Amino acid sequence: MADGYTGKVLRVDLTGEKITTEPLNREWAKRFIGGKGLGARYLFEELKPGVDPLSPDNVLMIWTGPLVGTMVPLTSRYAVVTKSPLTGTFLDSYAGGYFGPELKYAGFDSVIIKGKASKPVYLWINDGKAEIRDAKNLWGKDNFKTEELIRKETGQSRARVASTGPAGEKLSLIAGVTSDLTRNAGRGGGGAVFGSKNLKAVACRGTLGVDVPNIDEFLKMTKEMLLKDVVENPDHAGSITDGTPIIVDMSQNAAILPTRDWSSGEFEGSAGINSDAIKTKVLVRRKACMGCGLACGSWVKARTGRFKGASTEGPEYETIGLSGSNCGIDSIEAIVKFSEECDKLGLDTMSAGSVTAFAMDMYERKILTKKDTGGLDLKFGNEEAFAKMPAMIANRTHIGDALADGSKRAAKKIGKGAEKLVIESKGSEYPAYDPRGSIGMALAYATSDRGADHNRAWPVAQDAYGSGDPWNPEGKAAICVEDNTRTSVKWSFIFCDFYAVNFTNMAKYYTAVTGVQADEPYLRSIGKRVWNLTRAFNAREGFTRKDDNLPERMEKEPLQSGKTKGKAVPRADFEKMLSEYYKLWNWDDQGRPTKKTLQDVGLSDIVGKLPYLK
Amino acid sequence: MSKGLKAEKEKCTGCQLCMLVCSGTHVNKFNPSESRINVEDKFPEPGEFKINYCIQCDEHPCVESCPAEAIVFDDGRGIYIVDKEKCTGCGSCVEACPYEGCWLDPSGSYSIKCDLCGGTPQCVEVCPKGVLKR
Repeated sequence: MADGYTGKVLRVDLTGEKITTEPLNREWAKRFIGGKGLGARYLFEELKPGVDPLSPDNVLMIWTGPLVGTMVPLTSRYAVVTKSPLTGTFLDSYAGGYFGPELKYAGFDSVIIKGKASKPVYLWINDGKAEIRDAKNLWGKDNFKTEELIRKETGQSRARVASTGPAGEKLSLIAGVTSDLTRNAGRGGGGAVFGSKNLKAVACRGTLGVDVPNIDEFLKMTKEMLLKDVVENPDHAGSITDGTPIIVDMSQNAAILPTRDWSSGEFEGSAGINSDAIKTKVLVRRKACMGCGLACGSWVKARTGRFKGASTEGPEYETIGLSGSNCGIDSIEAIVKFSEECDKLGLDTMSAGSVTAFAMDMYERKILTKKDTGGLDLKFGNEEAFAKMPAMIANRTHIGDALADGSKRAAKKIGKGAEKLVIESKGSEYPAYDPRGSIGMALAYATSDRGADHNRAWPVAQDAYGSGDPWNPEGKAAICVEDNTRTSVKWSFIFCDFYAVNFTNMAKYYTAVTGVQADEPYLRSIGKRVWNLTRAFNAREGFTRKDDNLPERMEKEPLQSGKTKGKAVPRADFEKMLSEYYKLWNWDDQGRPTKKTLQDVGLSDIVGKLPYLK
Repeated sequence: MSKGLKAEKEKCTGCQLCMLVCSGTHVNKFNPSESRINVEDKFPEPGEFKINYCIQCDEHPCVESCPAEAIVFDDGRGIYIVDKEKCTGCGSCVEACPYEGCWLDPSGSYSIKCDLCGGTPQCVEVCPKGVLKR
């Protein structure tokens, strides 16, 4: 059937070393599309509640979607879907590059992995067939080396590899899954789930292709959309000229750029780490993911100084904010080095930057001493010490052992008042937009289904970066609800965040690829279904209102300068936004989807599986 | 004077839209392995994209190498193209080409190379960075 899907799911039991192929659940595919939505439906069905995410019972999935691998622009992504060991919630984490399309060319919409291998292995998928291979020689190797070795062993120079680095092998809860060297499904600890299963990598190569109906019409339509809706779309101008680092100056101007472990929203050294710094000091060339006309990525190399030769792709805004200004680092070359280390070792740059800033803060407050840091003078701004932190975290040496589990767990282990410093929600480190200068972000972080995150709702665009009032709680819940709905659809297709694609055009692509008649209301109903499903998943795991948390410092420690001087997130405003948010979603006062709400969004089939509804 | 495509490879960002549209046009599905142009990402070193396609060189050793006389001159386009019916997939042309401009399709049954889409190369039309020119 020519409808974008390969129609096949690869199922792998690592304990019993069994591999089977089964047809895709078409009924679910129609209701949940792919990526986030379809992954969530499978995970809800196949994962028992209360499972330890690092036990063999956790289910690890890789999902694509119907558009992935076609010429629909900016849909080259795949999702790692599992229960997060960092947050205990549903996890969907995405990476671009080439891996997602290659998995489809190899014949599969999804790979579902259960159990635990008795020794290190990797999964090799090639044109409809798969095998579990010995990974003894790969264990301990970094992500760059792992790709090189797998290509050599399989004799496939175009094999695509999604692997975990040493950080995931050592079960760091901030370890991601890395593909195409520098593309990371970073958030939530997917790399640790790989490690817990003795799974070094999933590698694939495919020549089977992806079919769509009416290809001549389809080519005409996508060519036109590529030009009109992508390349010439004014919303994409910044992605073409700069990519995400353009946000550094926007955050600095709005005084929401996390600085020295969230002690300030302005960084005096921001000019050293902004987009201009990248373009003038380290940029080698612009780089795109498959099928993208924007090419927002930057391949970079440090040309001078202590870190000369350090090279990677990025750093993106989040990396710059959390490992740059938040660590008091004003040199782009130092950030390139940190980023390269994280890519190789398999650490989420966002959480790795955050825990490093947190450790620096504790060092300055004398909660940590040189005894804890292995002799490093871990002051804010010390580039040399800073650049050594990814290895310390990934290898779990000294204080890195505690930091490898994320800042919330580290604080608990360290004690001495460290708990009060932590900036997280559900254990996931905050992204780089200080909510004290955009209080809607506090709501976005608290209500994100995978723990603090900026890709589920982004109200900052409308206030701190736009014309809205960043401190008025009115209307913030509605923005989050709308963003949740739209992103749930986008991550189900799986579109890239940087495609400002509207519902009408998403529906146009969807119909062209699958033949399913769709329009904006149709897709909105899917978005609502998907967001309720992930919320129900978390409610089944026991999450309630108390987990939609606001870190104490956001409430009690006002910022000190610029536009955010004297500003914090008042607790009353936060609670008001949260209550309104639950109300808009028709959830109960604990933030759980009610029976009626689930029925209304087309999730009657999961009602009987939610103990809190009984 | 070569009549083939021209590429400014320094401008390439590796999006492979050329490969997607090429396979869509030639084999009616999206399958980069069946594309007549090939872009390979070479990272971390040398940190660039390698672009291969038939440049329609003047010396055309592929034509002489072919035992089946399957690489024929197309009068309309003024270029050499592969006659799929005649091609046996022996791979002589792949070995003979000094530019890595042709290769076997994934089934190994015949040689594929750029035929300029009958005069309007689709890769040139979609390339978002102006890398490819006629």
